[in-house]
Amino acid sequence: MTDPLEKPTPGPRPRETFELEETGFNEVPKRFRRFYRRWRGPGDKLGPNEALCPVCKVVIRSTKTLRAGDRVYCMPCMSRLELVEEDGMLVAKVIY
Amino acid sequence: MTGPDSPHDLGETEFRDTVRSFEFWFEAVEGYLHGRPYGVTPGLKEAELSERQRDGLITTLCNYCVGETAALDASSGMIGFAPDRGAKVFLATQVVDEGRHLEVLLHRLGQLGVTDPDAEIEQRANRSLLKFKERLLEFVDARDWEASVFAQNVILECLEFTVFRHHAGTADPITAEMLRGIVSDERRHMGFGENDLGRRLLIAPHTHDRLYRIKRELDSLVLDTFAETLGELGIEREERPDLAGDYMAAVARLGFRS
Amino acid sequence: MVDFLSNYSIQKWLESCPQGYLQDTVYGHGPDQVEPQELLANDDYREQQIRTTVQLIAGERCALAASSGLVNAAPDQASKTFLATQTLDEGRHVEIFTRRLFDLGVKPDDLESTIKTYINPHLGKFAEVLLEKIDKKDFVAGVVGQNIVLEGMAFSVFEMLHAGAEASNPKFARTLSGTIADERRHVGFGENRIGELIRRYPDKKPEVQRMQRDMTKHMLATFHEAFSHNGAGAGRTSAAQNGASGPTYQGLNMAEASNEEMEGALSATVLKEFKTRLGRIGLEYQSPA
Repeated sequence: MTDPLEKPTPGPRPRETFELEETGFNEVPKRFRRFYRRWRGPGDKLGPNEALCPVCKVVIRSTKTLRAGDRVYCMPCMSRLELVEEDGMLVAKVIY
Repeated sequence: MTGPDSPHDLGETEFRDTVRSFEFWFEAVEGYLHGRPYGVTPGLKEAELSERQRDGLITTLCNYCVGETAALDASSGMIGFAPDRGAKVFLATQVVDEGRHLEVLLHRLGQLGVTDPDAEIEQRANRSLLKFKERLLEFVDARDWEASVFAQNVILECLEFTVFRHHAGTADPITAEMLRGIVSDERRHMGFGENDLGRRLLIAPHTHDRLYRIKRELDSLVLDTFAETLGELGIEREERPDLAGDYMAAVARLGFRS
Repeated sequence: MVDFLSNYSIQKWLESCPQGYLQDTVYGHGPDQVEPQELLANDDYREQQIRTTVQLIAGERCALAASSGLVNAAPDQASKTFLATQTLDEGRHVEIFTRRLFDLGVKPDDLESTIKTYINPHLGKFAEVLLEKIDKKDFVAGVVGQNIVLEGMAFSVFEMLHAGAEASNPKFARTLSGTIADERRHVGFGENRIGELIRRYPDKKPEVQRMQRDMTKHMLATFHEAFSHNGAGAGRTSAAQNGASGPTYQGLNMAEASNEEMEGALSATVLKEFKTRLGRIGLEYQSPA
């Protein structure tokens, strides 16, 4: 039997990588467009690599799974955001 | 523009310099304005409007013109006392955005049969909005950066962002497309204001009380304007969008209690 | 008037400028264009170019302050709209010339100190005269000062710099040609709009002419100081160093002409332009002498 204390501790799951496709978002320069998409309202389920900008309601996308503590930029409204965990959900907060 | 492909890999200064530049504006607006004269795809069919709907839309667009003229006069005036070069260049892009909004709104009024827009605007303008405009331009004349950014880029832009977004969802196709283009611009203006002011409040917390007094003074003007505009659009009270939600959330992020 | 001003709409501006001659440019030049190696490797030549670029930034900062200030003073919607586009044009010019300073090796943190080191003091006085009118929201004087005098001067200076850079520095020449295209609209608006206002308010003439005289005095002093430093022509040093025949400006070989000859040619060109433009709008040129 293996001592449970000797088992490797389950760390955070490795980050997945995502291939970002064009979303039709056209409000930033071309090379940045795939990093954003329009929000479809409260029923819009965000992916593990996505966060909603609280300032301008655009969905921010990353090539990697997002986690609490990550910093991302919302280019359409020029905000710098940090992801925090609130009630088990990831929420983007503006950092001034 | 050169630099990393992912915007999230930019350094903070690099990010701020990028988004406030003419180059950024230039490549961003190309995405949603190219091939859309006066903000609308050529050939888009005019919907049939009843006389009451047409009249309500004219009043609403006249009031949008008041708001956009206020924003044009204010943003241009603010360049003279903006604190740094990046803010000046950003405001220059905002000036042309506001001028464009005014132009497309006037063009739409013309399509709706308005022949003397100045007279119509004077006749239909909402008193609270005119009062708001007057106060905003007083802040600009006094070269008061914090009060001007707060009144214009946080309060006025937030009001417009919420109203235009909602209106675009219910309007005829031509008005809706024109409004969606305006909303795309408003994101930049609103974000600039909130971020600039947020940074300022962190380093000069004493500014907070002064801005809070301004907020209290302007709140009723903003909410009256909002209620009246939605009334003109014939939107029932229970179906109205949550301006209080958007506006209050923005000011709450800046640390103001409602 | 309404028809004339409709030519200055934002829609027209979008089609002709960002979607026209600026398309496929980055900071006003081709994406692959860079400053010539011989310029970057030669400290004296690079410093001369930094000095010249600083004057362009100072002039454009003044134009940005003036055109934005005029939006609020404009008596009608169409003029406000045009001035909104001019404000962004001037903001763009500030940005592209600032970017050129960085391309010439100035560090972003040293931007303001570099400008302070190299700025021509007479240019500051020239700007003060204009901005005083803008502060008073004097639309007629402001537009004459900005769109006839300042833009008229800028137009000629850019053309001279363009002639000098065309062969030796295609990147800078491209940047300048976009700027010249913008200035054409600005001077056109100034003449057309103010011509009508001067006819309507003839009592404004003496005051506006006084302003033009004062601005002209500071402009000529600016030229004198600039040429006594380095000759200001973008391609002069380069062409002279190469032993090539060099570009020409107003019939002068820029590589061989003396500083005095170049200063004389530029001053004469600008003053001639002033006289013609002012005459067309019903004002009489006032000599500062």
